[in-house]
Amino acid sequence: MAWQDYVHDMQRCTRCSYCKWIPYRYMRQTDFIQGCPSISRYLWHAYAGSGKFNMAYSLQQGRIEIDDTFLDVLYKCHMDGSCDVSCKVQQDIEPLQLMQELRIKCVEDGALVSAHMIVIEGLRKEDNMMMARRADRGKWAAGLDVKDLTGDTAEVIYHAGCRYSYDEELWPVARAGVNLLRKAGVDVGIMGGDETCCGGRAYELGYAGELTKYAEHQIETLRTAGVRAVVTPCSDCYACFKVLYDKIGKKLEIEVYHITQYLDKLIKEGRLKLSKKVPLNVTYHDPCHLGRLGEPWVHWQGKEIKVMGQMIVHDPPKQYRRGAKGVYETPRDILKSIPGLELVEMYRIKEYAWCCGAGGGVIDAYPDFATWTGAERLREAKAVGAEAIVSACPWCKRNFLDAAKETGDRIQVYDIIELVERAV
Amino acid sequence: MKLTREEYRALEATVGPEYITQEPVIMDTYNQVWGNKFFFDAKHSVRPAAVLLPASAEEIAAAVKACNKYGILFKAFSSGFEYLSLSLAHSKGILFDMRRMNRILEIDAKNMRAVVEPYVSVYRLQLEAARHGLYTGRIGVGYSAGVIAAECCHHGCQHTMVSTSGYGRNVLGVEWVLPTGEILNPGTGESGGDLFSADGPGFSLRGILRGRTGANGGHGVITRASVKLYPWYGPKEWHQKKQPGEPLSRGQLDRVPDGYRVLVPTFPDLESQLEAAGEVCRTEILYGLSIAMLATGVVPEGNDEDWAWARKADPRMADNFRQSLVLVMGAPSKRMLDYREKAARAITDKWGGRFLPEFNEPKALARAFIDLIWSTGVPSLRITGDFLPSSSSPDGSPDMLKRLALAEQQIVARYEGQGAFFQKGKKAVTWRPEEHLSIGAQGISTALYDPYDPMSLKAAREFIDELFDPRGKLKRFGVPSRGGCLQIEPVTHVHQNWGHLYDNYDVWMMKIKKVLDPDTVGDWTAYIPPEYPDYARDGDYVLPSYGKEEEL
Repeated sequence: MAWQDYVHDMQRCTRCSYCKWIPYRYMRQTDFIQGCPSISRYLWHAYAGSGKFNMAYSLQQGRIEIDDTFLDVLYKCHMDGSCDVSCKVQQDIEPLQLMQELRIKCVEDGALVSAHMIVIEGLRKEDNMMMARRADRGKWAAGLDVKDLTGDTAEVIYHAGCRYSYDEELWPVARAGVNLLRKAGVDVGIMGGDETCCGGRAYELGYAGELTKYAEHQIETLRTAGVRAVVTPCSDCYACFKVLYDKIGKKLEIEVYHITQYLDKLIKEGRLKLSKKVPLNVTYHDPCHLGRLGEPWVHWQGKEIKVMGQMIVHDPPKQYRRGAKGVYETPRDILKSIPGLELVEMYRIKEYAWCCGAGGGVIDAYPDFATWTGAERLREAKAVGAEAIVSACPWCKRNFLDAAKETGDRIQVYDIIELVERAV
Repeated sequence: MKLTREEYRALEATVGPEYITQEPVIMDTYNQVWGNKFFFDAKHSVRPAAVLLPASAEEIAAAVKACNKYGILFKAFSSGFEYLSLSLAHSKGILFDMRRMNRILEIDAKNMRAVVEPYVSVYRLQLEAARHGLYTGRIGVGYSAGVIAAECCHHGCQHTMVSTSGYGRNVLGVEWVLPTGEILNPGTGESGGDLFSADGPGFSLRGILRGRTGANGGHGVITRASVKLYPWYGPKEWHQKKQPGEPLSRGQLDRVPDGYRVLVPTFPDLESQLEAAGEVCRTEILYGLSIAMLATGVVPEGNDEDWAWARKADPRMADNFRQSLVLVMGAPSKRMLDYREKAARAITDKWGGRFLPEFNEPKALARAFIDLIWSTGVPSLRITGDFLPSSSSPDGSPDMLKRLALAEQQIVARYEGQGAFFQKGKKAVTWRPEEHLSIGAQGISTALYDPYDPMSLKAAREFIDELFDPRGKLKRFGVPSRGGCLQIEPVTHVHQNWGHLYDNYDVWMMKIKKVLDPDTVGDWTAYIPPEYPDYARDGDYVLPSYGKEEEL
């Protein structure tokens, strides 16, 4: 659906402001009840989900134009989907999809954010979102005893993703992921230097063509490699493979796993034994793309009809994505199975989790906002008494590390892979 | 209308450049709100000339003084969930978005009160007050509503008024930036004292501050308020969790908290239901009461689920539903709770009530408890996109409210029969008692319409005209309500048509407006103008000379 197709939703946003908070039934602590980082940081209503409906309607009515302010408001948003989940408590409307379509329109109209243009230029040239050279993509795996699927075959392909491939500080995590799979006897391989971006982050910036291009490329790559499953330690890549490809009609024919799902399977099958104590008091941060944005896509085609006089329903019935079908219990199960480790929950969890700050292109264009959002999450982690915050996405880990450095916070930051590695 | 450079600079100096904007993209998100289509025939009302984000009463006072100097209208709002919060009489007007004033300044457990700033939401205060064993009343429109907006500025009704009274009766004191820019502290009982006046605020100024229906931003800005708190018998913290088979977004308590009991009796007919309700109120044992609005069942996640449920529901369920009560009792001891439950059961028995299992199983009671005590928001908005409270929440005796409700239902049924409104398909009378019915009750029922369906919108307007025609068959008595919900009409229509019929109350309101706001800078679209515009009475509900968008 194009952005104009959401006029119904624009008209029906009542400005109830639910999009600014987590749903009240899940509020527990008054310092941590806000859901949307954008409105929390930038204050003007435009920055909330409701504000985007208002902007879009004004644009559709010819009252405003896409200008620098429009872009600033639209892109100082992590696209984390918190507003979407909260809005749907009250309304049958789609704030996140509208925001996505607005970004696509901006790109199509040539209304671009300069920082993103540089990233996309890099993507088009070097097939990654890190503004790095294609030739360096496989360096993270140097010396790893793992199959190279450019010339070999395996059951499983391990897709590291752009962040893990180029963020040298995070390489040990990416490598640990492979080692754990191999230790459990999984027949796994990588594409190394031939791996490319999934296209998901570019899509979130509004570059829809990039998603199609990389979806087609990945489909072909995976077919050629002959694998039966793709496992990725990156939540962004997971959501892209699992949700976005399906959304655009390019669903992968093979199984898609986030590494937490695969590790959990291995642990439960007894192929990976967690026996060493990891005496840490940790809290788990749900990555948006593994959680609410990782909920499978639901295709729907139909029309709006009226029943019982004026009740607005759909024919056929439309199943809204409300974020609850993301991956939530699996990483928690893993953490709970690590000896000596204590898991304490934050106040905003699962589909109501606060974003890490790295999503939606914010880390590229507005790093101070990314840091601010990350620091807010660290504050919440400390409020529940955690020594460490654990996530399951390199973007989260990177942003938390940056936020901790910026604020002088001493909280430890882990990816779940690291803790499993310590326990094995 | 754009502000001149000088005007903008004067306002900018009060809050700083970061906290004022006149960007069209941003300002056009401050004029699209619930109800606009009904009143202005467009989603957009007047675009403000600027929006400010003040951080203190002093900043607001300075900005208001600038408004007086340059003839700029102003209005303040908190969450902004109603058209009366954001509508401006003309485009040389500014809005104060109170987001930055969001502190709970004090919870005075000993004196059972809280002092809050305007952006503190009801549910946030409830979370915090519970830690002190205290509670603030439920708000009808949901948890995102501001405490100050509800208690000092608007009107509405809800299910705990039986024990916590109407919103307006909970104000003990305020810090009030008058339309002249002066800061007033009514409610201070001694020099330098705190904000606490039992008949607050101050020396019986409540009538001027808010009256029954609130001034809706029409005469200044409340920047702090001291509000009453009530005993809370539940846990200091609670955790609502998803339940298998229930909507994901609606966490539940496993059961009613220990300090409370909930009973849901169902009666053989309307008469016995309402008689029982009146009697149980007068025994002063209730913490919350709902009549014919149960919330014991699973609330469907969306309209499609709702429709699926409606198709398979047992039609007898609707009959039982509309003839039931939800009685919530709270007490500090088991003995007292036992007594209250016993009394409620005796009254139920006296009026032939019974306890149907489907309404009285533990989870059903927990659902009803949550709805009555904390509010579920406004799911009515989802069904058709909008709703009108048909009875305008009048105060009165239960008998009067019953007569009114039944008469209104005939009118509603006509429109429902035409397919113009959502067909609720049931007749019910519901009123919400204040202070154990000692000062009567407020009535409310709703008509659900689609503002973007021309036929439905037209019917909604005809419906309101029919209800509010003072010469019409309802012969309604009492000061018409204007705040809260959408029972508001354009003020000129209400006051010009009604004032001379009811003791010329509007003349007094105008006098208050003139005294408080000599330069007429407090926006009056949801209050009263100092003088009526010069056009015919009985005019159309669509504001003919103000409130319409100018050429951009």
